[in-house]
Order: sequence, then C-alpha cells, then structure tokens
Amino acid sequence: MVKLKIHTKYEGAWSNADELLLCLDTGSWRAERPMVDEEKCNYCGLCILYCPTQCMTNMEHHFVPNLDFCKGCGICARECPREAISMVAEGNFRDEEEI
Amino acid sequence: MIVKKKKLPKVFDYFQDEDAFAGGISICSGCPMELLLRFMSKVLGKDIIIVGTPSCSAIVLYGQNIGSWHKLAYYGCLMTGVASSATGISRYYRKIGKDVTVVCFTGDGCAADVGFQPLSGAAERNENFIYICYDNEGYMNTGVQRSSTTPFGAKTSTTPIGVARRGNETTGKNLPFIMAMHKVSYAATATLSHLEDLAKKLIKAKEKKNEGFAYIHVFSPCPTGWGFPMDLSIEVCRMAVRTNYFPLWEAERGKFRLTRKIKKPRPLKDLVRMIRKFSHLTDEEMGMLEKEVHERYKLIEGMTRMMPLEENP
Amino acid sequence: MKRKYKGEVRTITGNAAAAYGAMLCRPDVVALYPITPQTEVVEQLSRFSADGLLDAEMVEVEGENTAMNIAAAATISGGRVFTASSSWGLAFMYDALLQTAGFRAPVVMVNVNREMPGILAVSTGQQDMIGTRDAGWIQIIAEDCQEILDLVIMAYRLAEDFDIQVPVMVNYDGFYLSYLSEGVNIPAREEVDVFLAPLKEQPERPKLVPGGPLGCGTHGIEKGFVELRYKHCAAMERAKKKFDEIDRLFGESFGRSYGGQIEEYRMEDAEIALVASGSAAGTVKTVIDSKRKQGLKIGLVKLRMFRPFPSERLSRVFRGKKAIGVIDRSVCFGWNCGPIYMELRALSPEIGLIPIMSFIDGLANMDISIVHIERMIDSVYAASQGKPYQRVTWVVLEE
Repeated sequence: MVKLKIHTKYEGAWSNADELLLCLDTGSWRAERPMVDEEKCNYCGLCILYCPTQCMTNMEHHFVPNLDFCKGCGICARECPREAISMVAEGNFRDEEEI
Repeated sequence: MIVKKKKLPKVFDYFQDEDAFAGGISICSGCPMELLLRFMSKVLGKDIIIVGTPSCSAIVLYGQNIGSWHKLAYYGCLMTGVASSATGISRYYRKIGKDVTVVCFTGDGCAADVGFQPLSGAAERNENFIYICYDNEGYMNTGVQRSSTTPFGAKTSTTPIGVARRGNETTGKNLPFIMAMHKVSYAATATLSHLEDLAKKLIKAKEKKNEGFAYIHVFSPCPTGWGFPMDLSIEVCRMAVRTNYFPLWEAERGKFRLTRKIKKPRPLKDLVRMIRKFSHLTDEEMGMLEKEVHERYKLIEGMTRMMPLEENP
Repeated sequence: MKRKYKGEVRTITGNAAAAYGAMLCRPDVVALYPITPQTEVVEQLSRFSADGLLDAEMVEVEGENTAMNIAAAATISGGRVFTASSSWGLAFMYDALLQTAGFRAPVVMVNVNREMPGILAVSTGQQDMIGTRDAGWIQIIAEDCQEILDLVIMAYRLAEDFDIQVPVMVNYDGFYLSYLSEGVNIPAREEVDVFLAPLKEQPERPKLVPGGPLGCGTHGIEKGFVELRYKHCAAMERAKKKFDEIDRLFGESFGRSYGGQIEEYRMEDAEIALVASGSAAGTVKTVIDSKRKQGLKIGLVKLRMFRPFPSERLSRVFRGKKAIGVIDRSVCFGWNCGPIYMELRALSPEIGLIPIMSFIDGLANMDISIVHIERMIDSVYAASQGKPYQRVTWVVLEE
C-alpha cells in the first residue's frame, strides 16, 4: 500500500485568509497610466471614490495611483471635475526595475 | 490659485472598515462591480458573511485551494442555492441568539433566472438577510449571454444580429419591482454613480434586515459585454439615471419613494448611443425600447403616488 | 403549556418514529417540505414545535432544493439540522446533495423510498436511493419502525464524528414502513443526550463565523481538488468500522443492537443465502425459519449500510457458500439486473465463482410475498446443486 503525501489541511472545501491572502499583479495589465497634476487638483476626492480598484492613495493635498494595482481604466481621468488627471501611454515610462 | 477642499466627500463618513479585498483581483478593468464589492465591504464592515454564486464575482469571492482573495467569511454555493443557503446561515445564527449580517451577492442571471424560485421563497418568508443583485443585464462571466433582465433589442451572444433575428426579443423582467411586490421590509435600486445614495441604502438594508428581507438592485454596466470604453463606466450609470432608464427608488413593505427625482429627463438616445450593444437598433426598435422604459418609470411614479412611503421625520 | 416528556413505548408510524428520532437529537434548524409518503414526518415535527418539544428554527420552504441548501449552510455554520424527502424531492435537491457531501457537511436526512418518476408511481421502490448512490452520502436502510428511530440517532453520531464528517441518509420503505403503526420504544431525551455527548469532546470541525478568516466553497485547483476527493473517499471507508462500533455502543446504551453494516441471520452453517434490505427482510426471515424446519441450510444477509458498500464483511460472510440470491427493489439501467446484485457480483474474486442470482421484485408496492420468496429459494437451491440457472429474474412478471 503506497503511503500518500496529503498537503491540504481541511477535510472540506475551506480556504483560510489568514494562511494565504492571494493578490494578483494587476498593475501589469495597464496600457495607460494616470498622471495627476498637483496644481490643478482641488482635493475633491472623486477619483479615490470612483476608482474601481480603490488604488488612489491620499497624499494629503492630492492623490496618486498605486501603480502596483492600477489597471489603467481611466475612470479617474474621466470623472475628475478639474481635468487634473490625464492618461499617458505606458510606453513613455521606464520603471527602475528594468534595465 | 486652486482652493483645496478641506474635507473629503460625505460618502467617506459611511465607511466602517478598510477594504477587505486584496489590492489586485481578477476583474475586468473599469468594471463597476469591482467598485461595488470594495465599496460594500467598506460600508458594511468586515463582520459579514457573504454568500456568492458562480458569476463574475465568484472569481474573487471564492478562494483557490487554501488561499483567499479577501478577508471576509464567505460561503460559495451554486446558483440555485444562494438565497436558501443564506436562509440556513441566518436562521442558525438566529437560533443561537447572535446578530449576524448575511449578504447574498449575485448577478442578474442568478437572481432573475435560475435562482429566482429560492429568492422569491425567501422574500415571501421575509428572511433576515440582505440580497444584493448587480444587474449587468446578461450572463457576462460565461461570455455575454442573454438573461431575463436583458432589455429589448440588446445584442448578446445568444441573441445576435442577423437577417432572421435581431437581438433580444423580450422586454425582460422588472426584477426590483417584482421583489418590492413581495412586500419585503426593504427593496431599493441603486447605482455606482450615486455613491452616497448607495451607501445610505446599504446601511438602511443592514438595519431593515432585522425586520425582514432586504433587497438591493444595483445597475452595473459591463464595459466588456455591452461595448463601451472602460473609462465611461460611471458615466453610463449616471446617464441611465438621468434618462430614467434606471430610476432610483426604495420601497418598504409595498410603499414606494423615489430617492432621486429627475426634473428634466434626458432622451434615451443619450444613453443608447454610448453603448454598442444597441448600435444596430432601427427607429422602430428604439421606439419599443423607449416605450418599455417609459412604462417602467410611470409604474414607479404611480406607485409613489398611490402607495407613498413617508420620509423619516 | 409544555408537556412533560419521558421515555416510553408508543404505537407510532414509521414517519412519526423518524420525527421522534430527529426531535430527540435537538436539531437547530429543520427544513420542511411535504411529499408523499414523507408528509407525516414534517407534520409531526411541526406539531412537536407547536407543543414546545422541539426548540428549532422551522423553515417551511418552497422546494426541496431550498431545504437541502438550508441544511448544508446551517451545518457549515456549526449547527445540527434535519430534513426529509422522497423520490422526486430527492431528485430536485440533487445538486444540493452533491454540494453537501463535497463540503463534508454532517447533515442527517431521512429518505422515504418511493419510485422515481418517469413512470408516475405513488408507491414504494428503492430507485431513489439507487439514483443518488454516487452523491457521496452515507446511506443506511431500516427494516422496521424501531430501527428507523434508532438509526436517526445513530446517524447523528456517525455524521458528526470528527473522523467522518460525511452526511448520512436514512432510508426506509415508503407505504410499508411510513404508514405502518408498530410499538416503538422511544428513549428518554436525557439518554439520547448522553449518547451524543462524546461528540462534544472531540475536536471542533471548522465553522463559518462572521469576521473569521475561514470561507467555505473554495475552488479546488489541481492537486488540491484531488486531495479533497481522496479524503472524502477515505472518510467513507472509515465510516464502515465506525458504524459497527456505534451500533455496539447503541446496544450498550439502549439495549438494541442490529449487527452494524450487515445483519447476519442464521448464516453460520448456511450453504445458500439470500440478500435483502428494508422491510422485505422481515418476510424473508419468516420464510427462512420455515425452510430451516424442513432441513434446508439457508440464511439471510440483511444489507443495512448501502454506502459505503460493506465489501469486507460481505466477502467474509459469503466465502464458502454455494449460491446467493439477491433481492432488489430497484433496477440497474444498462446492466439489466438489480443494483445490489451488481455490486455484490463485484466481490466475486473474494467470494469465489459461485452462482449469484438477481431477483427484481417489490417494484411499485407489489409485495415481496412468501410465495415469491419460496420460489426464489427454490431457484437458488437448484443453482447450488449445479443445475442451469437464470441470471436475472423479474419475479412479478413470471407469475
């Protein structure tokens, strides 16, 4: 009788968020990146409210997207009443990790 | 010199907890349903039990082996079992005397089609849980098939446009109204452009679930399935409200109230021309869609006059 | 006004016995939906609740699918549940049955055997139990009203055991046992509490709590899925010995023991044997007694546990016998024989190549009568003497 190695902890179909909280690298999905003009921003908060991934970070008098998770959907740029956000193609940037 | 606003919008006052979901989750870019999930977990807090179903949200709500995409307690079941499982959980906690908020989170395919019988049964028995249906008017996760809330004339993969048949042939179910007619303790419509309205309704549903069934129908357009650019998601929601395609109302035990009365509704064309699934409509087909939208609005407006819900003093 | 309740002997129907069994085990949530021949179970439970004897959440559902989903979800949250159904209702809750077993939710339900639809029948038959044999549930069968009550209590002890955690279905013949009134010894509630108390001393199974990190219903990805399936099968294997042990412990607590996975009736020196299950076993025992007086060495194996199939004990009891006749109250489509016969034949390498005969009888409430059984015994005896025999006999059609 072959002795089998069983790794699952539970008998049933349980998951445990404390043991493993999954996270996807959705920042790599982007084709365009939101750029925030600090001068134009009036800190109204609509971009942080409407961002589907809730990745807009509060920098005390303006907001910047968390590029790890920003999917580049452009809703923040569309909803900004001051047109302070513009979507710029990813090709224009070179991240520090490359090279 | 730009004057910086002193405070964040009032909606932030409604947030009870941090976002319980992981930063990066596998939902289409610009999907309003992702905003709804995160918003709901912030407003309702982390002490909820969320009951999910195979759908676009199942990718995120259900774990993968031992891992999970969020920190909430969830119960992943079949489409036919959502309202029933929530009944089982809420009845058990009621028996042991513990107050628990159970939230069902399903799409329109489950709520209006295959899971409708248990939903209707649970609503009739006035069970104590919240049922949130995000309506993207089709079975989006499996590739944009028609469901019974798909509007007249819409192009889906099971109602394609061809010489013999053109788009969806029925006007679809008016699901939120059907649920309100079960005389449940709370039924409401909401959408992702009017977030303060949505937050108030979520909180009210959480209170009202102690008296009985609470149902919220959220209009959640699908950029992938309907054919519009992903940055217009919130704008489509807004336009749906402004054209009275999706009126915002709430009902308690069969008494109705509009939470957002549009004084000068825009023509339906303003919404339809934004969305590619309607781009093939002839004038006659457009006329039929307009008639249906108009009748639905008249119905709600009539109910608010005949069976009005008084404002809280 | 609460009625004072003590252990006693009462004349009650099989359905009422099932309801008493459930009531004594103190379920937290009970899902009620009527279907002939089970309706009296839910009616009796509702009366218990109205009389203050059953302190549970009674949910009058709108369909059996709902009933099973409620049972699974309430159990996963940590509670104890009960529900009852029959043929069509069992078919309607099929997706929920699979889910309950996959979640390893220790639900206990009662299935009152009735013919499955396709041919409308308001009559007994075991087709509904056969139709759900691959759902992953433990299935046990009762012979009389006393056994129904006892099996329901034993079912909770078996299902909720930390080593097992598999849902249990108690089957009994509709119309024969459901509406039959017999004298039943109803234990006192305190005695049942003591019998189920060891469950509380075991480690706690995982539960769904608000704010907790655990979530139920995860995707099984590759090896994760395979391991869960393997664990499920392994737990069902463990259930065999556990059921024998629980039967023995039940005998010690209540004075009634039934033999565990199978009951061996006069099998020690038997040369030929019959296999039966459910209420028919009672009639078979009567015929065997009379045949024994005539000098025939015959015995009966009553199948009490159908899933998991008691392979080891059946192989042991039949080794060295000369011929076996299996009475089936159902059919196995695609094999043109009875299902229990088909499963027993799979044990031929262990039993030895002896004549095993399938008798399909008792469908649609047609009695498995003394005359039928005598004819079956004659055929089995002839086969054991080396005469040519028929593999499958549709007993009713050969009258």
